[in-house]
Amino acid sequence: MTVIEGMTSGFFQAISLGVLPYLMTGAIFGLVIGVIPGLSGHFAMAMAVTFLYSMEPSAGIAFLLGAHSTVAQGGGLTAILFSTPGTGQNAATLLDGPPMRDNGEAGKAVGAAMASCFLGATFGAIALALLIPVLRDVVLFFGPPEIFVLAFLALTFVAILGKEDMTRSMIAALMGLMLAMIGVDNVTNTERFTMGSSDLADGLSLVPAILGLFAVAEMIELWVRGGSLAKDVPNALSGRETQKQIFQGIGTAFRKWWLVMRCSAIGTTMGLIPGLGSAPAAFVAYGHAKQTSKDKESFGKGNVEGVIGAEAANDAVEGGALASTIAFGIPGSSSMAILLSGLFILGLETGPQMLTTNVDIVFIMIFTIIIGNLIGTIVGMFLVNPLSRATSIRASFMVPVLMAIIVTGAYAADRSLFDIGIALVFGVIGYLMKVLNYSRAALLIGFVLGFAVEKNLYLALLIDGPLFFMEPIPLTLSLITIGFLTVNIFGFVRDRRKGNS
Amino acid sequence: MRRTFLKGIAASIALTGVVGAAAPALAETAAEFYEGKNVKFIVPYKPGGGYDEYARLLGPFMEKYTGARFDIVNMPGSGGMKGANEIFNSPSDGLTVGIINGSAMVTNELAGIEGASYKVADYNFLGRVVADQRVLAVSTKSGIETYEDILNADSPVLLGATGLGGSTYVDAVVVGTVMGNNQKVIHGFNSSSDVRQALLRGDIQGMWGSWGSARKGVASGDFKIVTHSARDGDPNTPGIPSVFDYAAKADDPAKAEEILVSWDALSAVGRPVATPPGVAEDRVEFLREAFAKAMSDPEFLEKAKQAKRAVAYLDGASMADLAKASTNLTPEIQALFVAAIKGEL
Repeated sequence: MTVIEGMTSGFFQAISLGVLPYLMTGAIFGLVIGVIPGLSGHFAMAMAVTFLYSMEPSAGIAFLLGAHSTVAQGGGLTAILFSTPGTGQNAATLLDGPPMRDNGEAGKAVGAAMASCFLGATFGAIALALLIPVLRDVVLFFGPPEIFVLAFLALTFVAILGKEDMTRSMIAALMGLMLAMIGVDNVTNTERFTMGSSDLADGLSLVPAILGLFAVAEMIELWVRGGSLAKDVPNALSGRETQKQIFQGIGTAFRKWWLVMRCSAIGTTMGLIPGLGSAPAAFVAYGHAKQTSKDKESFGKGNVEGVIGAEAANDAVEGGALASTIAFGIPGSSSMAILLSGLFILGLETGPQMLTTNVDIVFIMIFTIIIGNLIGTIVGMFLVNPLSRATSIRASFMVPVLMAIIVTGAYAADRSLFDIGIALVFGVIGYLMKVLNYSRAALLIGFVLGFAVEKNLYLALLIDGPLFFMEPIPLTLSLITIGFLTVNIFGFVRDRRKGNS
Repeated sequence: MRRTFLKGIAASIALTGVVGAAAPALAETAAEFYEGKNVKFIVPYKPGGGYDEYARLLGPFMEKYTGARFDIVNMPGSGGMKGANEIFNSPSDGLTVGIINGSAMVTNELAGIEGASYKVADYNFLGRVVADQRVLAVSTKSGIETYEDILNADSPVLLGATGLGGSTYVDAVVVGTVMGNNQKVIHGFNSSSDVRQALLRGDIQGMWGSWGSARKGVASGDFKIVTHSARDGDPNTPGIPSVFDYAAKADDPAKAEEILVSWDALSAVGRPVATPPGVAEDRVEFLREAFAKAMSDPEFLEKAKQAKRAVAYLDGASMADLAKASTNLTPEIQALFVAAIKGEL
């Protein structure tokens, strides 16, 4: 089967009556899972997998991947309207989404987020399609030395995120790195910072930590402050006003297409790298949007570019993450591991034979991502009004309800009571950080990347020796990192001088 | 006299009452007990992995043959140990079963890893779902053609592995030590998927793993299997000599053989389904029968085949013997394994 034949066949299968209903069901299911804090794409897929046993392969794939691809869209809604990340990858959306809501631009933020998600996902899917002929080489491009340098580069983005208060941001990032060390180190098999607890032996789980840092912290603040979520808006936006803003937001995302493209490229590239995940991709894209913006000052205070960058990247990840799963049957993330076993259940083989004989299946995946996100955008628009009304409900009623959902979300991923404890402890930490003006984003970046940096540094040293970064590719990447850091440090020093004089 | 008579009557009435109350309980067969009950089926890993998939394949057939409802509960943590502990320490009413990573649980127990609150030999085994044949796969681009190439290598052959004490690591180290390979084990990869990717990239030259994980790479021509653990050969690896064939050439053939037998027993434990110790014998027997029927149901076998999941059934009693044998090693071999698991070799 040639690629063109596969594309045509994949497209017609995806929109056929035997598949499209499953795709729609999956997409709406994923959207709802995404809206609920703590329930992630991983969870949506794990639930969807159990239905596969009686499905046709094409319908099953559309259902499974449809459910996974819209989760970030739903999560963006919750992030903007309730200051609570619907999923881990929406944490970056919290930096500018809720401030926009407080400025009375909730509709615009949601519209921009939805459209960026759709555009980002489409970018990732098309990139995957274009890469098919060279997919194997692209996936094999990243080994431990490359991943180490790239993860380190991503880590340096803390410098942009926390530019306003570098000292506090560095403290937060280092704290994140230390939190990443918790657990049994599988290189030396020694327990680090576990204090003898077997629950800590596996390290801290990401989902409850993010829920705590952002969602629980927000609830504590809301409870302390009283009033309602939409604090500066006396009355909720009228339905008509919200609709108008949504279309405005969509228009904005399309007008800023170049930003969307760049942030999507960041997302797709980071998706290609196994083990990085989409939460750091969104932060790096956010950092990039801030770095290149003419109006850096308004970031964090409700700049639509911050929302666009983060949301475009976290959906563009999907296309990249699929690459290694399809090309070699090697899953880059836990969600992709579920997808892989879903494909097995459906009787499909990934790897080279999928790229040659079953290329139509690959295109079903690609079209599923695009169509699924389109459905997510349309359905999401109808969800905005009822959800945004809820933001004006007073705290004494809202906080208990949301807390119940958050705690359930923290528990659901691993069915672990301990994770609820983690969410609560991180809630207090997050609240204190917010009050004392420490960057939670910096902490999260350190936490998420710490593991990848350490592990790959160790492997790179074992495989290529102490001069591993002198190989051509890591060397180029290292120089980019150094250049990037130099520019930032220079800018930082200059700004500080300006501030002093 | 009269009093004793009355006492006698009272006693017999009381006795009748007790017997009367006890009779239905005695008469209730295991089949009646399970009818309509909910059984917790614990999977000690996240949804989506092999263990989860086996459990979900098996669940409906266990329901078919027991009349109970099987709820699959994923309980990931500590490399499968959290779930194994949970199964071992759950109430012994026979309403909790689970699939365990037998080989890893045996190695954890041998090495005295903290947090292992189970004894593998004390589980009530329903039987085994599958045992992974261990294979040594090398990259076809590595220039290594046979296991002899590795034995005769001038510079150390790089073998990839996951964490210290993981099966990819223990296999590489134990076999390497026994056979005297010139090798260097690169460990610390996140998962066996990551090791495979490094193998494809050429960062490492080979890895020990299950046949199932190497299968795809072999089919696509990226990997080549040079040796394996199946002493009498296996249809999956035709014409490839096992490590036992090479053991004869080791410095001390008898000892090499003895160690390899114990090592092979470790992988033979495979993935058993178990219920906690102390479950009433008739219920264990009933579950064992149901498991045997489920595992030989043609529809189950067809579904497993479709999902590319191998099946190697072993009955509960033989599984129990195997578990005992694998944890009951000579002090010398146990010391070797513990050193391998702890990364001291």
